[in-house]
Amino acid sequence: MTTQERAVQRLTNGTPVPKGQERKVTNLWLDALQRLLRNKAAVLGGIIVILLILMAIFADQIAPYHYAEGDSNENYMVPLWLTKVMPGHMEKYAKIGDKFILGADYLGRDILSRIIYGARVSLPVGFAGALTALVIGLVYGSISGYYGGKVDNIMMRIVDIMYAFPTMLLIILLMAFFKTSFGGANEPGTAAYTFNQINKIVDRFLGLEGGGMLFIFMGIGITAWMGIARLARGQILSLKEKEFIEAARMIGASDLRIIVRHILPNIIGPILVTVTLNIPGYISTEVFLSFIGLGVDPPTPSWGSMISEGSRAIRSYPNQVLFPALALAITMFAFNFLGDGLRDALDPRMRGTS
Amino acid sequence: MARYIVRRLLWMIPVLFFISIVTFALAHAVPGGPFDREKPLPAEIVANLNKYYGLDQPLWKQYTDYIGLTRNPAGEFAGVLEGKFGPSYSSRSRTVNDIFRDHLPVSATLGLAALAIAVGMGVPLGVLAALKQNTFWDYLSMAVAIFGVSVPVIVLGPLFILIFALTLHWFPVAGWGRPSQMVMPSFALGLGSSAIIARLTRASMLQVIREDYIRTARAKGLSERMVIIRHALKNAFIPVATILGPMFAALVTGTFVTEQIFAIPGMGKYFITSITNRDYPVVMGTILLYAVFLVLANLVVDITYAFLDPRIQYE
Amino acid sequence: MLHKKRLFGLLTILMVLAIVLSGCAKGKATATEINLNLGTEPPTADPALATDTTSVQVDELLFLGLTDFDDKTLEVIPELATEWSVSDDGLTWTFKMRKDVYWVKYEPGKKPKKMRKVTAHDVVYGVKRTLNPETASDYAYVDYIIKNAEKVNTGELKDLDAVGVRAVDDYTVEFTLEQAAGYFPGIAGMWVNRPQPQEAIEEFGDKWTEPGNIWVNGPYLLETWEHENRMVMVKNPYYYDAKNVSIEKINWAMVVEASTAFAMYENGELDVAAVPLDDMDRVKADPQLSKELYIAPMLCTYYYGFNVTKPPFDNVKVRQAFSYALDRQKLIDTVLKGGQKPAKTFACPGIFGSPAEDPNFEGITFDPAKAKQLLAEAGYPDGKGLPEITLMFNTSEGHQKIAQFAQQSWKENLGVEVKLANQEWKVYLKTITEDAPQIWRLGWCADYPDENNWVLEVFHPTKGANRCKWNPDDPAAKRFMEVVEKAAASSDPAERKKLYFEAEKILCVDQAIIIPLYYYTRVVCTKPYVKRTYAPLGGEHIDKWTVEPH
Repeated sequence: MTTQERAVQRLTNGTPVPKGQERKVTNLWLDALQRLLRNKAAVLGGIIVILLILMAIFADQIAPYHYAEGDSNENYMVPLWLTKVMPGHMEKYAKIGDKFILGADYLGRDILSRIIYGARVSLPVGFAGALTALVIGLVYGSISGYYGGKVDNIMMRIVDIMYAFPTMLLIILLMAFFKTSFGGANEPGTAAYTFNQINKIVDRFLGLEGGGMLFIFMGIGITAWMGIARLARGQILSLKEKEFIEAARMIGASDLRIIVRHILPNIIGPILVTVTLNIPGYISTEVFLSFIGLGVDPPTPSWGSMISEGSRAIRSYPNQVLFPALALAITMFAFNFLGDGLRDALDPRMRGTS
Repeated sequence: MARYIVRRLLWMIPVLFFISIVTFALAHAVPGGPFDREKPLPAEIVANLNKYYGLDQPLWKQYTDYIGLTRNPAGEFAGVLEGKFGPSYSSRSRTVNDIFRDHLPVSATLGLAALAIAVGMGVPLGVLAALKQNTFWDYLSMAVAIFGVSVPVIVLGPLFILIFALTLHWFPVAGWGRPSQMVMPSFALGLGSSAIIARLTRASMLQVIREDYIRTARAKGLSERMVIIRHALKNAFIPVATILGPMFAALVTGTFVTEQIFAIPGMGKYFITSITNRDYPVVMGTILLYAVFLVLANLVVDITYAFLDPRIQYE
Repeated sequence: MLHKKRLFGLLTILMVLAIVLSGCAKGKATATEINLNLGTEPPTADPALATDTTSVQVDELLFLGLTDFDDKTLEVIPELATEWSVSDDGLTWTFKMRKDVYWVKYEPGKKPKKMRKVTAHDVVYGVKRTLNPETASDYAYVDYIIKNAEKVNTGELKDLDAVGVRAVDDYTVEFTLEQAAGYFPGIAGMWVNRPQPQEAIEEFGDKWTEPGNIWVNGPYLLETWEHENRMVMVKNPYYYDAKNVSIEKINWAMVVEASTAFAMYENGELDVAAVPLDDMDRVKADPQLSKELYIAPMLCTYYYGFNVTKPPFDNVKVRQAFSYALDRQKLIDTVLKGGQKPAKTFACPGIFGSPAEDPNFEGITFDPAKAKQLLAEAGYPDGKGLPEITLMFNTSEGHQKIAQFAQQSWKENLGVEVKLANQEWKVYLKTITEDAPQIWRLGWCADYPDENNWVLEVFHPTKGANRCKWNPDDPAAKRFMEVVEKAAASSDPAERKKLYFEAEKILCVDQAIIIPLYYYTRVVCTKPYVKRTYAPLGGEHIDKWTVEPH
């Protein structure tokens, strides 16, 4: 992710929006939208993302079963169609039945239902990561870039320090801390208790009975914003000396107004692209956390936990890992197409290339 | 340039200092201690163990002992500043230095091999996609690339084992030491990065081939092949080269899953198990080591960048 | 395009090279080699420090104990000792030792070197080193039965020589105990009490267990130890029984991921492997693998404990009701699937004194009607009026499954809603030791096969961890303490059996302090060309295995 951010930063740095375009902001956006809509892959990606969001919201209506519901007598059940598609040895030992379209897991829980509910974990993780990165990164980067000088220097040194943290290790350490210190806090009045209560509210809001989503959001969020902060700062630095900003300042516009009205619209493009392209990264972070046992608490399903459990059963029951991995891959594809499309649409240098 | 490098290296000191404090605080804030056992040890034995490792000292003192700013209970300065990263609570015969010596080379080898695969697959795919933009080949290369990022190592690893070891018998399932054991893990680890490189190469290639000098080159009548190799590829490689440093760092530090699946004795395992075991010196040591690694990788990038792009100057 | 071609070319060459190399490496195994999986890096090879099964496995092959356990009968058999005797008061144990055992130092590449004979002084040195507070041995507490051991280990007595162990002559060692203990011969052979080579330890300090430094006296020598990767042991030519050791070389892998290890087994890279639960059905249905499958018992029990101070479990009838409401056999058949045995006692079968297989021991078995009735008698008909109940376990998919099964059963059979909670292992240990929740889980595995290691060391209200918060002044607890202490001191097997019968009855039935769930098993596959034994505890005796040409 860092690598991507840096790359985008390098690509976008030093090529400020050509003069004359900033005055036609609305046109620029309309223009971009039109270009985006012409990009078939991006449209497909967008549609898939919307479908996935709908699937997560209406999981209760769509899923044939509840995610925790299962009968141990039906564990590892394999659907008949799968044994036909993948003929081999599964017929010899697997329970074969048509009760579950994609089969059942080791506790007899419907894999399809768990994938559908799993979207309530994986998508929010992606969006929460993006949102935190966007909000913190943008605010931080704007302040740093706009005020410059000492403020900028100190704020950027902090970003440098954060950058030197091995991201994955920091997330793991943070998750271990959140899960152990906050997760079991039952005494009202402490900060840990408050966090735990917020965590429960977040889980409920997402339609899950437990899972510890807040902690995953926090772990990913804390490490996700630096790239955006740097990007935003760089963009603002190159913009703020421009005539139209000077003009706004002359007529007495406040700093906040200048940032929000004049600067942000001009820099949001590359930042949006970066954030979108980073979403798959956040989603796969959750997969990794599940593999090392720091993901959502069972029985709440996530694609990450299904994949890491399923991957261990790949020899005997390939469907355990195949379908969650497929769901993940489709989501990744969708966000990548969408992000690429956004970049092509928003990056002026790509204009007229297609 | 030299002054710039020296300044960046000096800057590492406060950075590492800060990281060590944050890590130390976080590691100790996780409840539970290294000697909590299923059968609780008698208080006296825990006391013996705590004394043996200096854990009976106040926390600040443990930190300064660890850094090597104060004398440890044995009366020596034996901390990070002296090049000693402390003992490992879970293995009496091995210090953290031993762990670095034995396992860092493994992670580095794996990371390098993965990087080679990432470049070897990513660059050609990216060039192909850019040259045939918006054709079937473009879509195919990008689909292959995105497949690389979309399928996590957790799936790729067992899948490789199933296909290349158990079915085709090309490689052994797992282990480390022989070259044949390196192939599957390197591919599993490098595939995701190859996708990133492919996309980046494509993007920068697209940009470069529209530059004036390429048009000039073409106008001069150079063959398309010459234009691409001599002029376009070289310049398009600049952004790619700059991400190799951090990518290498990410590959080396991100080997845990690959290690676990292919039974590779790398560093990743140590970090994860040290957190569950509350093995504080190992937690601290790995984070500090990787931080140094990251900072250096970023520095190398900035220097390479300056070399590759004459427009950049560091005072 | 040239550039690209070259890269692809290089890649192809690399792959071909790798394939060729992998081809070369195959077929190297000879009949006298065996490839096994240790499962993880052994934290230590130092017998004084070993606490986990992996380290114990390594020590079992490198160091001899005075005694050992028979793999089949679990009886104490001679190893380094040839015979032993006990004084009439049961306090002094004398072990006569073999005179043909040598310390062997092996620097890889050189010829193994006989250093000197193993003597009683090495045993004395080993015991004292384990108990020395500076060694900070985790397992020193198993020796607390030896006179002054506890005082020395805790620093109360500074004089190491006060420990009740001495060399009567070069080949006779004598232990003096705090109190009579019929199970002591088993303790005397445990890894912490094995002879330790003073010279090597003093020369190399903490590094004395590395290959080249270590002195061993067991059937195998340590040739290679690549940490976290592999370990190689070769047959000790100077081992006293070397002529009966068939396997020349053991290649230990350290594969943590069970599915990877089993794939290695199927690919012929390992000769023995545990079967992952996910592959169980396939293995059972496979004509070849099913023949290689073996379900071996382990000396471990999985149980739920109560905190008897927390309502409603301060009421014995509620505890019993919860125990009667669990169908252990169904748990095994539908959730665990590893051929485990339903438990009705704390100590598992095979442990001396355990009434697990005594037909007279009724124990608590699944009886929903009785469970309901007991709950009603306790004043909570159909669970009405019960406070909120929490079952806690350490975070793990396996424990989660079992907890969900229990939750479901209690709901069906008692109408009680139980909440599940989990904590990370170290935090969990802290919680259950300091302030255990109403119901919690743990497992216990034998250190030595005697009930003392179970009922006394785990549940004695003042000598054990007492996570159940059993009040020592409670009459039942008093009786329990009296019984287990008396059994520990007795040297009459029949009397001890009777006493442990009573202790188990108090613990698991009358007071229902715990709910024993099942006795562990392990499911392993072994290649047909390996003739092997199964050690229920203390590490496999690979020196007794053979590998046929294959």
